[in-house]
Amino acid sequence: MKHWLRLHGLAIARTIKALLRHPFSNGMNLLVIGIAGAFPLALYMVISSVAGVAQKLPVEPQISVFLKTDAPAEAGQSLYKQLQGHTELQQVRFVPRDQALKDMQSAVGVDDLLAGLDNNPLPDAIVLKAKLSTPALQLERLQKELAANPIVDSAQLDSAWAQRLQHLLSLGQTLLQAVVVLLAVALVLLTGNAIRMQILTRHDEIEVAKLIGATDAFIRRPFFYFALSQGLLGGLIACGIVAGGIYWLNPAVADLAHAYGQQFTLQLPGPLEAGVVCGVTLLLCSSGAWLAVRKHLRKFH
Amino acid sequence: MIQFQQVTKRYPGGFEAVKNLSFEIQSGELLFLAGHSGAGKSTLLKLIAGIEKPTAGAVLVNGQNVARLSRTSLPYVRRHFGLIFQDHKILFDRNVYENVKLPLDITGFNGMEAKRRVLAALDKVGLSGKEKLNPISLSGGEQQRLCIARAVVHRPAILLADEPTANLDRDNAHDILELFKSFHQVGVTLVISAHDETLMADYGRRILRLKNGQFTA
Repeated sequence: MKHWLRLHGLAIARTIKALLRHPFSNGMNLLVIGIAGAFPLALYMVISSVAGVAQKLPVEPQISVFLKTDAPAEAGQSLYKQLQGHTELQQVRFVPRDQALKDMQSAVGVDDLLAGLDNNPLPDAIVLKAKLSTPALQLERLQKELAANPIVDSAQLDSAWAQRLQHLLSLGQTLLQAVVVLLAVALVLLTGNAIRMQILTRHDEIEVAKLIGATDAFIRRPFFYFALSQGLLGGLIACGIVAGGIYWLNPAVADLAHAYGQQFTLQLPGPLEAGVVCGVTLLLCSSGAWLAVRKHLRKFH
Repeated sequence: MIQFQQVTKRYPGGFEAVKNLSFEIQSGELLFLAGHSGAGKSTLLKLIAGIEKPTAGAVLVNGQNVARLSRTSLPYVRRHFGLIFQDHKILFDRNVYENVKLPLDITGFNGMEAKRRVLAALDKVGLSGKEKLNPISLSGGEQQRLCIARAVVHRPAILLADEPTANLDRDNAHDILELFKSFHQVGVTLVISAHDETLMADYGRRILRLKNGQFTA
């Protein structure tokens, strides 16, 4: 056990030496890993920040159905009755045109303007509140059905924008997955290539070591430690880049949100996100190293 | 200690470097391999160390068939050997001390005792005080001594030297052979190859003469 620890200690010492021997090229490599990791992390932070806000929004699925002004009153009433029996709706309210005008007068305070009108320009309306559990697709189908009804002038799904946001978010998540997969492959190849270069430059050392009785594990060890250090440091750099970027962007984001009467800032990556990013980069870099070592150390006898 | 049983080595392309050789090397023996370059001396040494595997026959070291060893156990067998290569295989990205320490690093041997052994090996070959130098600044004879120091630092039971005197003048070559003789005196088994037989004659040991992969006399 002590012997084993000593072998690993020696390997770590040699790794640090190797890192310091080429500070520039290793630094560049780290930066590339950091940037590759920062991209999906930044995307994730934006999506999760927006999703956090989107969840708090009152998304009451509501459909406002405006009837044609020339539609017969009985037809409106029968549609109203018919909708009352709909299982997905929790509340169906009929708003007669006179009521709507009164409401408008009291709400907006435009008596004079409205008094100037010869007749009531507002149509009869039916306001439908759906159950929260109703899937968006079903609501959209209902909205289309109603819009197609000959007595209906227009049917508006009021939560449409919130749903669009949800769609946008899920698109963002899909995009994030694609980015993660692509960059994961890139990281494996990148580390694999870096290790391959190291194996090439240390060809003589590996050859001699093997000839005088080094085990495969002895030869592999420093490359694995190198890859692990690259993964860990690269992950930390990624977190640093994202934290710095968000810190720098947040005042502008807050101003923008303020202009819409909202309070919103992007979240900084926490210990959980940092841990996941470092863990993933560690894993990817070591698999890259594993591939390179497996492929290129075979040829030494 | 080392046994060849009808060993043939054919390289890819069909060239037979060693043809149906059988012989034995006793523990503690000092054996010379003579012959022109291309006679099969290097191949024979490589077969002993398990660097090459025989096409036919068996090479036994301490009763173990070297060719049958798994990839994981071969390194441990290699550690019984001290290898002195024809092309030196010195690492020029590190100093003399670190070059000699390499076999100890491999076995995880570290600390004061390791340092003491490296310095002792360097002292033995006459390179004391040069441990901080880059080996590129050493002369040909000194580089050869560095190789010897690296080969003996882990105190192997068998020393295999491929043309250790090839590029040295007569005085230097004699010094190197005297060094080998001193290892022989403390019980190390030595197999030394050379194309110049006049050097070996002075030592009156067994000489195996190779020609086209076969023994001649």
